[in-house]
Amino acid sequence: MPDPITPAGAIAWVDDIAPDQAVGVCGAKMGRLAELYRAGVNLPQGFTVTVEAYRRHWEQAGLDAVADTALRGLGAGAEATKIEAAAATIRAEVAGREMSADLAALIGDAYDELCSRCFEINVPAAVRSSAIGEDSGTASFAGIFDSYLGVSGQDRVIDAVRACWASLFNARAVAYRLRAGLHYADMPMAVGVVELIHARASGVAFSAHPVTGKTDRVVIETNWGWGEAVVQGLVTPDHVEVGKADGRILKYQVADKTVVSAFDYAAGRVVETEMPARLVSQRVLDDEQITAITDAVLAVERHYGYPVDVEWVLDRHRREGEPVCVVQARPVTVNTPASDTPTEWNPAAMAAKYIFKT
Amino acid sequence: MATVIPVDEFITDEWYPGFKPAYTHAPWYIDPVQTFRKEDEENFWFLDFHWPRGLTPMGLIWNEDGYNWASQLAAEQMPLPPGRGITCRLGGTHTYGSPLPVNDLREIGQRARRLERSLPPFLQNFDGIWGDMREEVNESWDFFRGVDHSALSLTDLRENLIQARQYHKRAFEIHFQVMYPLLANYIGFYSMCTELGLDPGQIGKFLQGYDTKIMETDRELWRLTSAARAAGLESVFAASDAGQIRSALSAHGGAAGPWLTTFDDFLQVYGYRTEGSCDIALPSWNEDPTPALGMIKSFLRKDTEHDFEKARNAAIEEREAAVDAARSTLTLDEQKLFDGGLASCRAANFPWWQDDHNYYIDLRISLPMRWACQAIADRIGAGHQDDTLYLFWEEIMDVSSGRRPYDAGLRSLVEQRKQYFGYWLERRPSLPKVVGTIPESVNDPILIEIFGLNSHFLRAVEAAGSSSTVKTLTGVPASKGTGRGKARVLHNADQLHQLSPGEVLVCESTSPNWTPAFAKIAACVCDGGGTLSHAAIVGREYGVPTVTATGLATVVISDGDEVEVDGSTGRVTVIKQATNGRG
Repeated sequence: MPDPITPAGAIAWVDDIAPDQAVGVCGAKMGRLAELYRAGVNLPQGFTVTVEAYRRHWEQAGLDAVADTALRGLGAGAEATKIEAAAATIRAEVAGREMSADLAALIGDAYDELCSRCFEINVPAAVRSSAIGEDSGTASFAGIFDSYLGVSGQDRVIDAVRACWASLFNARAVAYRLRAGLHYADMPMAVGVVELIHARASGVAFSAHPVTGKTDRVVIETNWGWGEAVVQGLVTPDHVEVGKADGRILKYQVADKTVVSAFDYAAGRVVETEMPARLVSQRVLDDEQITAITDAVLAVERHYGYPVDVEWVLDRHRREGEPVCVVQARPVTVNTPASDTPTEWNPAAMAAKYIFKT
Repeated sequence: MATVIPVDEFITDEWYPGFKPAYTHAPWYIDPVQTFRKEDEENFWFLDFHWPRGLTPMGLIWNEDGYNWASQLAAEQMPLPPGRGITCRLGGTHTYGSPLPVNDLREIGQRARRLERSLPPFLQNFDGIWGDMREEVNESWDFFRGVDHSALSLTDLRENLIQARQYHKRAFEIHFQVMYPLLANYIGFYSMCTELGLDPGQIGKFLQGYDTKIMETDRELWRLTSAARAAGLESVFAASDAGQIRSALSAHGGAAGPWLTTFDDFLQVYGYRTEGSCDIALPSWNEDPTPALGMIKSFLRKDTEHDFEKARNAAIEEREAAVDAARSTLTLDEQKLFDGGLASCRAANFPWWQDDHNYYIDLRISLPMRWACQAIADRIGAGHQDDTLYLFWEEIMDVSSGRRPYDAGLRSLVEQRKQYFGYWLERRPSLPKVVGTIPESVNDPILIEIFGLNSHFLRAVEAAGSSSTVKTLTGVPASKGTGRGKARVLHNADQLHQLSPGEVLVCESTSPNWTPAFAKIAACVCDGGGTLSHAAIVGREYGVPTVTATGLATVVISDGDEVEVDGSTGRVTVIKQATNGRG
C-alpha cells in the first residue's frame, strides 16, 4: 500500500496553488481559474480534488483492469452500440467503488472550509469535471464531462466527485478518445468544488466573434439565472456585441428566452425549467452590467494574450461598479479570423471583392 | 447540371421582312447585334425590360450604338476586370441582353489593376466630370432642338440624321462611362454594408432624398393638377379619355384656355420626354401629350395631393436616421470604413444619377433622330410620318441620298414590318424571361443592379417550371412597408393610365416615365430590378412598398388578384385570385 494521501496532495485551493503548477495539478478548467486568480480576476471560492487524488483512487480501486477489459478490441471505427456498452460497464464499476476513507475525509474537510469561507452551512457548490487536456488546442471535450450545480452537504459533494470521475467514461467521451487515438490515462480527471454564485443572470462572453472571427468586438450571450441552459444550447439567449476600441454597445438583440436554469431547493440542484412569462422577452443586461462583463473578458484575454471564451455569472447581490464573477475561461475556438478587410474605403478593392470576384 | 432554355424559336434568317444580316453591321466594339443562332444557347440571355413594345428597324440603332458600342467601349475603358460590357440578340422585335465575359485570368488581373488606378479619381471628381458631360449633352441638344427641318433639303436632312445618330451614340458613351464606375462603387459599398451586418433593407436609404430632374417634372405635373382643380376642370378630365382631353379642354373654353397655356409652357420645359427609354419609335409629350394629360387625370381622382416637400423631408429624415442607426452598430474601425464608402457614394451618388441622367439622356436623346426621320418621311411622301422608323438605317440612307426611290417595294415592306412588329408586341407577355444557359452568378454591375440578375433571380427563373402553383413570391425588399390592393399587371407604360389609385402595380420593370404612377399606387412588384432599379429608388422616394427581382410576378399574378406586398421582407402574397383571372 502506498502512503496515505496528504491534504496538500489531494486538495488544491484556487487561491493557493502556484499558477505554473495549476493545470497539471487541477486539470484544465480549475487550473485556469487558479491562473486567473493570480491575474486578479474575480472568481468564486473553491478548491480542486486533484489529479493525484483521482490517480490514487483509480489505483486503489483497481479500475485499470476493469477499463482495459471493457475497452479491449475497440478501435477508432468501433460501433456506437459497442462503445455505449463498454462505457456503461466501466461507469457502473467506477460508481460502485467506494472512495477511501482518507480521501473522503479530506474532501469533507475542504468542503467545510468552503462553507466557512462563504459564511454558509452546507453551501451549495458547483462540482465540475476538470480533466487534463480536456480543451487542449487539438482536442475539445467541452461539455462532454459532467458538472453538477447546487450540490450541498459533504456526502452529496463526495458523490458528485465520484460521478464526475465516472463521466470520464461517458459514451461520448469514450468515442471521442477512440477517434482521437487517446488513452483514458492521458486525461486524468481532477474535480473542482466551487461556491455556487447566486445567479441573477449568467452567460458566456467571447473576446472575438465566434462565427466571423472578428477580434474587434466582444460577443456576449446571456439568460436569466444560471448559465447551463445557454452553454447547453437549450435556450436562445440575448445576444450582445460590444466594440473593443470604445466599449460601445453595438448590438443588443433581445431573444425570447423560454427556458431558465434555476435552483430547485427541493431537489437541491440547478435544473432547467420554464421561464416565467414576464421574463421571457425582457432584456437581461443593462449597460453597466455589459461593461462589467466586457471588462472581465478583456482582462482574461489580456492575461492569456489570445481570444478567450468566458463563462460569467452576475451575483444577485452584485452592486453597480463591482466586477462580475468568472466561473470558467478557455481559448476561444473560432473560424478563421476575418481576413483582409481594409481599414480605408477603397472602391476598386471593394468592387474586386464583391462584384468582380477577382 | 446547368439549366438550358432553348433559343430555337428565335433562330431565323428572316427576321423583319426584307432584313439582310448585313444591316446589323454598324460599328461595334466587341460583339455585334445579331439575331439568335443555336450556339448562343451556350450563353445566358435575359429579356431586356427597356423596350416592352419591341423595337422597330430604326430602333435597332439603340442596340448597335448603346449596348454593342457604348457599353462595350465603357467596359474596356474603365475597365471592368471580368467583363466587356453587354451584347444583344433579337428575339423577334425583342431584345435579349447578355454579359460579355473576360475569361483569361492574367488579363482580368491586369484589368483589375487598371481599374484601381482609374476608379478613384473618377469618383472623386465626379461632380465636375458629370457637369462637363451634361453641358456637352445640353449644348448639342440646344442645337438639334433649334433645327428647322422644313428648311432643309432631303440630303441635308440625311446629314442631320447622321449627326443626330452621332449625338445619340456619344450620349450613350457618356452614359456608360458614368454608369459603370458609379455602380461599381455603389455595389461595393452595398456589399460591404451587408458584410458589416447592416440590414440590406436599410442600405438603399443612405443615399436617398436628393432632388433630380425627373422629380422636378413630377412636381410640375402635380402643380398642374392643382391648377386644374382650382380652375374647376375636374369634370372635363373625368369625362374624357386621356387621348381626348386636349380637344375637350379646347372645346370647354373659359378657364380651360389659360390652363392649356400653362400646360404648353410646361411642355416646352419638360415635354421633351418620351414614354420609354431610348426608343426612336416613341413620341415625346410635346408630340403627343396624352400621357401627361392622362397622368393629371388620374391624379385628379386622388383625394389628397402628393406632398412633395413632405415626402422629400421624410426621405431625408429617414436617410439620416438610417445612417445613424447603422453607424451605431459598427466598431470604430468599421465606422471609418463605412464613412469613407458613404462619402464616396454621396459624392458620386448612383441612385441620384440613375434618375437624374434620364432627363438628359434616356428620355430625350432619340428625339433628334426621330424628328429627322419624320421630316424625311414627309419629304419622300411616306403614307405616315412614322413609316421611316420601319426602315433599316441603310435603307433610309439610300432613300435620303436619292440612291433608291421610296417605291412600292419599300412601302409594302413597311406595311409588312408593321404587322411583324404587332405580332411580336402581342407575344411579349409570354416570352421567356431568360434563354440560354442560366449561370451560377453574373458579375456585370449593370446586370446585377439594374436588371436584378442576382442569384435569387437566377434561381427563381431556374425553378420557373412550377410557377403556376406559386402563391407567394419573394424578391429584393426594395422599399419598406406593406401595401395591399388589387393587382394591375402592366406590360408597358402606354397602359399606365389604366392604373387606379390604390392598386398594386405589377410589371416587368419600371422606367422613369412610370414615375408619376408612384404617387397613387399602394405597392409595386417587378419581375426584375435590384435595390437600385428605377422602381426601388422611386418606391423609396415616394414611400411606396416595393419588391423587385421576383422573377415571375407578371406571370404568376393576374389583373384583379388581391395581393399583399411586404417591402421590408421582399415577400409578395396572392391573397385572393381574381375570379376570371382577368379583372
